[in-house]
Parts: sequence; C-alpha cells; structure tokens
Amino acid sequence: NTAIPICRNIACDCFWTTKDPGVSPSKMVEGLQSMLQLPPSSATGGEGLTEVSPETTTLEPPSSAAVSPGTEEPAGDTKKKIDILLKAVGDTPIMKTKKWAFLKLVASEQLFIYVNQSFAPSPDQEVGTLYECFGSDGKLVLHYCKSQAWG
Amino acid sequence: MEEDEFIGEKTFQRYCAEFIKHSQQIGDSWEWRPSKDCSDGYMCKIHFQIKNGSVMSHLGASTHGQTCLPMEEAFELPLDDCEVIETAAASEVIKYEYHVLYSCSYQVPVLYFRASFLDGRPLTLKDIWEGVHECYKTRLLQGPWDTITQQEHPILGQPFFVLHPCKTNEFMTPVLKNSQKINKNVNYITSWLSIVGPVVGLNLPLSYAKATSQDERNVN
Repeated sequence: NTAIPICRNIACDCFWTTKDPGVSPSKMVEGLQSMLQLPPSSATGGEGLTEVSPETTTLEPPSSAAVSPGTEEPAGDTKKKIDILLKAVGDTPIMKTKKWAFLKLVASEQLFIYVNQSFAPSPDQEVGTLYECFGSDGKLVLHYCKSQAWG
Repeated sequence: MEEDEFIGEKTFQRYCAEFIKHSQQIGDSWEWRPSKDCSDGYMCKIHFQIKNGSVMSHLGASTHGQTCLPMEEAFELPLDDCEVIETAAASEVIKYEYHVLYSCSYQVPVLYFRASFLDGRPLTLKDIWEGVHECYKTRLLQGPWDTITQQEHPILGQPFFVLHPCKTNEFMTPVLKNSQKINKNVNYITSWLSIVGPVVGLNLPLSYAKATSQDERNVN
C-alpha cells in the first residue's frame, strides 16, 4: 500500500518535481529520504492516498507542464535552490492521481535514493554536492526505490 | 516477479578489481587480499576514527574524495606532524576494518567488519550500534540480530560482525534491472557497497559513482 505521486509532463511520464523554490543545496540525503516518507506517527496513513499538509512538504506538482525559459523568477532564489526530479526504479509502484501522497514504508523497508541511477549517496552527503557532480541547469535527477533491505 | 540478479565469484573479483582501481586513483585505501592458496580473496579497508567522531577527525576519511595518506604511513607520524588527526587520547581512537567477501551460498558479496581500540580491545555490538546512522537505526532495530550477526571470518577465522546478505538480491535487483534497461554498465560492488556501507559507518566518496560509467565492457 504505497503510492508516490507522478506528474505528466512533456518530457517523461514518471517525473515529478519540486515546486519553486526547490531544495536547499545544504539539505542532506537523509533529509530528502525523510521528505519522501510518511511520518510513522501520521494519523492520516490509510490505504495509500493522503492529503499533503502544507507544513510537511515542499514537494508538489508543477502548475504547468512546460518550463518556459522566459519565466521571470527571482534570480537570487533560483540560484540558491535546486529542483529535484525524482524517478522510480524497479518495482516501486507508481500511481497516477491528482492527489499527492508519500511513500508509506513498513518497518523492514528502506527508501533508497540513487545518483547516476546506481549509486546511493551517503546520508550526510549534501544535495549541493550531488548537484555539482550530477546536476545541471538547476536540476538534479535522482532515482528512488523502496526495498526490503534488512532482516 | 523479476529474476534475481546473482553474481558468480569470478564476476565478483572483476568488480572488486575495478573498484580497487578507482580506490587507488583517489587514495581511498581499499586493497585486495588473496587467501593463502590464492584461489579466492577479499577486499579490505582499514580506517581510524576518533570515537565521538566528526568528519574532520577521521584519519583518511575521504567522503569528499580528498587524497589521503595510506593508513599505516599516517599513523606512524607523530601526532604533531599529522595534519589530519586531532590530538586525542589513544584510547579514543577506533580502528575500523571492513572486508568484502563473496558468499558462495548466497551468490552475493557480504560485508564483514570489526572495530577495536588501539590497545586491541574490541568494540561490542552495542558500541557498533552507536555508530549506525540515525536514519537506519529505527528500521534495523526491528530485528538487529537478523541483520548484524557475529560470525567467523571465512578466510581469517576470526570473529567479525557481518551484515546479513539474505536481502541483498532484493535491493540490488531493481537497480541492476534498471541499468540493463538503459544499457548502462554498473559495478555491482560499487552500488552494493554504497547502499550497505553507510549502515555501518562506511561512506563511499561520490567519485565512485562516476567511475563506473566510464567502463565500456558489457556486464553479464
């Protein structure tokens, strides 16, 4: 019973992206992992769909599919923040829906995030460093996968 | 259900060789140790850490890909002359050893590790747990004895802690299937170690992630 939001955009049908202002470069990988998971004590944990409350997330679908290069945005902000583009790996279920939810993991499951589609950065690695190595144009593509990993 | 991705021992050794090649390029201190009859062997790394360790106090920690001194050389330097270690009582320095072996029964690599103080006193499993990153603790504590056990090292015959390999296929298969789909070569050892290493305090520098994609050979 897991669901992860996807957004249809022109480039790919399993991308979803952070809404402006994006993710701070100093955020660490473990912070990203937390952002993607329902908190264990969440009262709304149900069959898979949960309303996203404003204070728990900065990850939302973009309001429009196309990214227009001519958009006026505060230059200072976009330079400091990084858009994270998340793509599923393997069997992690994707659910196409307008409601947005996060992955609900059982105790023995782990959410893994990968750069370059195959390498798990350490939890205290900063997003900014990942961006320097693997990102461009203010965007960083990360793959994610939910697995039984321990025990 | 997708087929599991097992690797044979020869393939394991090849991936280790590639991994060590990159390790040498960045000074990450991994080396190959053959068994006595040289028919098999394992990868090994030793690093030293101050017990309440910040990154700065790691001897040779290269989370950001910095070149560092080989372990033995660095440790022979008087503390005053060594730029990477903070002055600390010897009893607070911990020696971590990580060994990567091949498991014939599971057909996957297995991570063996142990830690001791400089006077030889081994760390207990409880001490090891304190070094596990917070984000793994909750999940691991659901069943610690299933995940980290103490076993005899198959080649050295000494007690080591082992990260149990029974779920290795489960988290490796999606990554490998995905890389096949996009026709990209992946070093199994690099991916695997990047996933399991941080659980026990072993972090791979990011440069390993890029090293793999330069390899043009096909993966079986």
